[in-house]
Amino acid sequence: MIISFNWLKQYVDIDLPIQELVELIGERLVEVESVEYIGDKYKDARIVRVMACKPIEGTDHLNVAKIDDGGVVEGIERDENGYVQVVCGAPNVHEGIDVVWLPPQSIVPDTYGDAEPFVLSAKELRGVMSNGMLASARELDLYDYHEGIIVVDKAAEPGALFVDVYDLDDYLLDIENKSLTHRPDTFGLIGFAREVAGIQGKPFNEPHWFAELEARATSQGADAAPGVSIEDPELCARFTAVVLTDMDETRQSPLYIQSLLARSGVRPVSAAVDVANYLMLLSGQPLHTYDYDKLLQVAGGDQVVGVRTAREGETLALLDGREIALDTSDIVIAAGNTAVGLAGAMGGASTAIDGTTKRVLLEVATFDLYHLRSTQMRHGIFSEAITRFTKGIPAAISMPVTQEAVRLFEEYTGATVSSAIADARPVRRKPLAVEVSVEMINETLGTQYAAEDVMVLLENVGFEVTFNDTVGTVQVPYWREDIHIPEDIIEEVGRLAGFDSINLTLPLRESTAVRPDAFDQLRMRIRQYLVQAGANEVLTYSFVHGDVLQRAGQKPENSYRIVNSISPELQYYRQSLTPSLLGLVHPNVKAGHDSFAVFELNKTHDKSAGLTNENVPVEHDRLALVVEKTEGADQPAFYLAKRYLEYLGVKLGKTFEYQIITGDEADVATAPYEPKHSAVVFDVATGAYVGVVGEYKKAVRKGWKLSDSVAGFEINTRALMAGSVDDTATYMPLSRYPGTQRDICFQVPVLTAYGAVGRAVKEVLSNIDITTSVEPVDIYHSDNADVKNVTVRINMVSHDKTLSQDDINRVVEAVSAHVSTAVNGKAV
Amino acid sequence: MSIHDNEGVKQLLIERVKTSETPRDVLRAPELRKLYSTIGSIPAEERANFGREVNDLKQALEEAITEREAQLDSASVEQLDVTAPWGENASLPSLLPAEHGTHHPLIQELNQVVDIFTRMGFEAVESRQIDDDFHMFEALNFPKDHPARDGYDTFRTEEGYVPPAHTSTMQHRILLDGKARLEAGGDIAAISYGRVFRNEDVDATHEHTFYQVEGVYVSEQANLGQMLGTLRSFFETYYDQELRIKTQPAYFPFVEPGLEFAIEKPAAIGGGPGQWLEMLGCGMIHPNVLEAAGIDSKKYRGFAWGGGVERLVMLKYGIEDLRHFESGKLAFLRKFNT
Repeated sequence: MIISFNWLKQYVDIDLPIQELVELIGERLVEVESVEYIGDKYKDARIVRVMACKPIEGTDHLNVAKIDDGGVVEGIERDENGYVQVVCGAPNVHEGIDVVWLPPQSIVPDTYGDAEPFVLSAKELRGVMSNGMLASARELDLYDYHEGIIVVDKAAEPGALFVDVYDLDDYLLDIENKSLTHRPDTFGLIGFAREVAGIQGKPFNEPHWFAELEARATSQGADAAPGVSIEDPELCARFTAVVLTDMDETRQSPLYIQSLLARSGVRPVSAAVDVANYLMLLSGQPLHTYDYDKLLQVAGGDQVVGVRTAREGETLALLDGREIALDTSDIVIAAGNTAVGLAGAMGGASTAIDGTTKRVLLEVATFDLYHLRSTQMRHGIFSEAITRFTKGIPAAISMPVTQEAVRLFEEYTGATVSSAIADARPVRRKPLAVEVSVEMINETLGTQYAAEDVMVLLENVGFEVTFNDTVGTVQVPYWREDIHIPEDIIEEVGRLAGFDSINLTLPLRESTAVRPDAFDQLRMRIRQYLVQAGANEVLTYSFVHGDVLQRAGQKPENSYRIVNSISPELQYYRQSLTPSLLGLVHPNVKAGHDSFAVFELNKTHDKSAGLTNENVPVEHDRLALVVEKTEGADQPAFYLAKRYLEYLGVKLGKTFEYQIITGDEADVATAPYEPKHSAVVFDVATGAYVGVVGEYKKAVRKGWKLSDSVAGFEINTRALMAGSVDDTATYMPLSRYPGTQRDICFQVPVLTAYGAVGRAVKEVLSNIDITTSVEPVDIYHSDNADVKNVTVRINMVSHDKTLSQDDINRVVEAVSAHVSTAVNGKAV
Repeated sequence: MSIHDNEGVKQLLIERVKTSETPRDVLRAPELRKLYSTIGSIPAEERANFGREVNDLKQALEEAITEREAQLDSASVEQLDVTAPWGENASLPSLLPAEHGTHHPLIQELNQVVDIFTRMGFEAVESRQIDDDFHMFEALNFPKDHPARDGYDTFRTEEGYVPPAHTSTMQHRILLDGKARLEAGGDIAAISYGRVFRNEDVDATHEHTFYQVEGVYVSEQANLGQMLGTLRSFFETYYDQELRIKTQPAYFPFVEPGLEFAIEKPAAIGGGPGQWLEMLGCGMIHPNVLEAAGIDSKKYRGFAWGGGVERLVMLKYGIEDLRHFESGKLAFLRKFNT
């Protein structure tokens, strides 16, 4: 919404410089997105009189004009009368009119501020000297019209500055109207002015006509007042209508009104249209006009205008040429049984005003904003009018706006009113009074206002306030339908006085620092450990393409699908993190990175996880890592991914067990993993399922252009919460005696799992009364052999003595014997 | 009911896929071609139904083929010893060099914010990433069809769930959770943080996915002066300097009064007097929101605020493009290695 500072000043005293006013509006009313000073671009534009004008021979449309600038512009070639010669191509140039002249060296306002502004000069056109130009509305940057030059309609001395005569020494305030959604009153200049008075601490005086809420006594005209029938009071709280006769569609509104409209971003059209727009901008109340004779024809002579919802299957041809199918919740204006307009949104073609129009029906009404909102969305209508209607126009202003409209139409369009004003108002909203105490205001805001302060602030903007001791009764004015409860009044007080004047304090409370919850702490540790292991934390989108799911082996129908997604790329909730990470590998490889690990901690969602007790989908907290390492890759990538997971396990005090994937896993995250080069992971201490680690299926690798040196894991982060063992629980004092170690090599059948050997070793060691541990040393398999050698190292130490050779041998023999039996191998 | 045995053809072809060495060839089976060729001869009223059946068949076949191909792919793969610490004839794989590791700057900053608030005595809860209309809107005094809902550009799922457009989606839960503590003479002090979503086209300054932190404080004495004091205190800690603040009226249905909160741009990020940064929206919690959680709005008052995290990070580092955060580009991520 654009507000002209000069226009605003016509309704409210402003004694602040523009910059301070803008700051004050920002602090106490609404954000001003930008302020544009338009005076500069008109600084050289002069009002001049065309003293003589004749066509240039040999051209079809050029005229040479002699203009009188009162001699004020210097350095210009003049004739013996002191007139300046300008060539002009406009069809409406003729002797005796006042026009706007842009002298040589001036910039055409339309190009003012451009990188290459158009600077005028004195030059010959068709052999005729032309000094500057006579300007059109487009060249003056008023509005987009270039079929003729602007004709000045105000009395001015030749040579007067255009900017002075038309009050163009003006600032345009671009208002961020999104935050005024609840304030329909401020969508009219008068309502905005009221607020500007209030925030300056001044009382506001409404224009007389605007305050006149009741109908004036009028005489019955030639036409009977139209009847208005409102089907349901919910649809339309008020509908006033009046007939005007002999409106001249060709008349233009005064240039001054045109310039006010243009400054507000509304294009001037004709006096009839401009008057309606001018009043809308002033009052916030949109107006609509119908060709009354056409309307009666459609109605078959019935003089009743109907307001109702559309019927099933009904259609309407709109003014813009569209034929729309109406929805039964659209409100329509009907003539007889026929819809002739989409209420508040757009008129119909059948009753459009045109050059033949004799009688006009003026409608000033208010409709239910919720119906209009859905109509707006359904039919894609975004006009200044519907923007205002969908904020909720108060019914009270229909009458003053109608009466002022009649006056302006009569003054500017040549029309005369020919009927009484029909006024259908099925419901009258009861005025609301809100009680609020000064204590409540001060306790909520942290202020020390007196009752008197509160009263002045509120009365400045039209509330009526009475105080009984410290309890105030606040009468809410009709235009503030957003005010219902004491808190609304408190906001008004705080805002009008300025929230920034409030003393800043801190809550008085017994506050202590809060420890982040256990899960947050766990995630912080995980991030820290993985970063220490050279991995890069990433964040990727929660939504994926259906193809991504399919490529990963996940069923799209198991994903929550976004119905209004931005693109197919972001249509489904992801079921696991891994596919998103796989999508990062190839681009980063292409960008020159050959060894890296990326990980993400985030939430995933799938339908099979079901709902919580709040009936919303269960969320899974997951951790996924993908590692690509080409250098030194002398073994399947599985083992590198496992190494990362084992490292994390050690850091978190977890022991994991790895099992072969059976294909029956319930975890959707396992889908992209190649079963024979992957494992499902369990927590040894709790037996809980943790996740999956390994390489990806061939089709997955192909789909994401991955080499076979890519692997990773995806785990259920919360599974790491339970049963963590930390160092405080496992610390054992160091022995005073030296320890020793022995490597034992077992030759075992090739298919024997390393885990089986390790397990067997541990079984023996657990029965030995000295402190021992075991670690892998080597796994050797020569090509095609049906056996392999597994070497483990036994660490031994006693807390009672230095171990003898016998003690050591006893351990080695016990291990060798048991393991050989357990895994069908032999110690070598 | 189709007179054609589509179901029979489906079973037959799926069985064939299961045993085929070249399962994709089944898509060219004569049985399938015959089905296509009959479409033209189906009576018009049955055609839609028939078409749907054929489509289902194709989809089922496609799934079976993908599964069979994976099986065939896997058949040539040797089973690894998943219990081994490393591969045969190899040794323990080494982790990547520590100096390559980086934290994500957004999460790092988020943790900073959470850390300051927890030190100020606010509990921290992570926000949900899928929620319902009740928590996202209704419990926050946005009735159905309320125009203010438009400003949130929310996504919806088929079932009507909402990817939350603000972390305030947790506010009702926080209030419910803290009610007992409040009524026992204590207060509610909590923040919710996490990922939120809006239906916005993406460019250097707009993202459909971003992070927010929301704060809630409720007590018998809470007031607007305390809210402004709390927020200033947070930003002064965060930027480690004294700051001037200013506000601007704003409209959010879940607060009354509602404000936008700005700080004077701190020196640490190249600011000076007269330059203002809008940081967040805030206000006194609307009584309807308290009442929706069963909290007596006559007795208790609260304030709440919410703001974005990306802004803080971008200002801190001078990051030029919002899209970097979720890009996963190592070239970007590895700039944050301190």
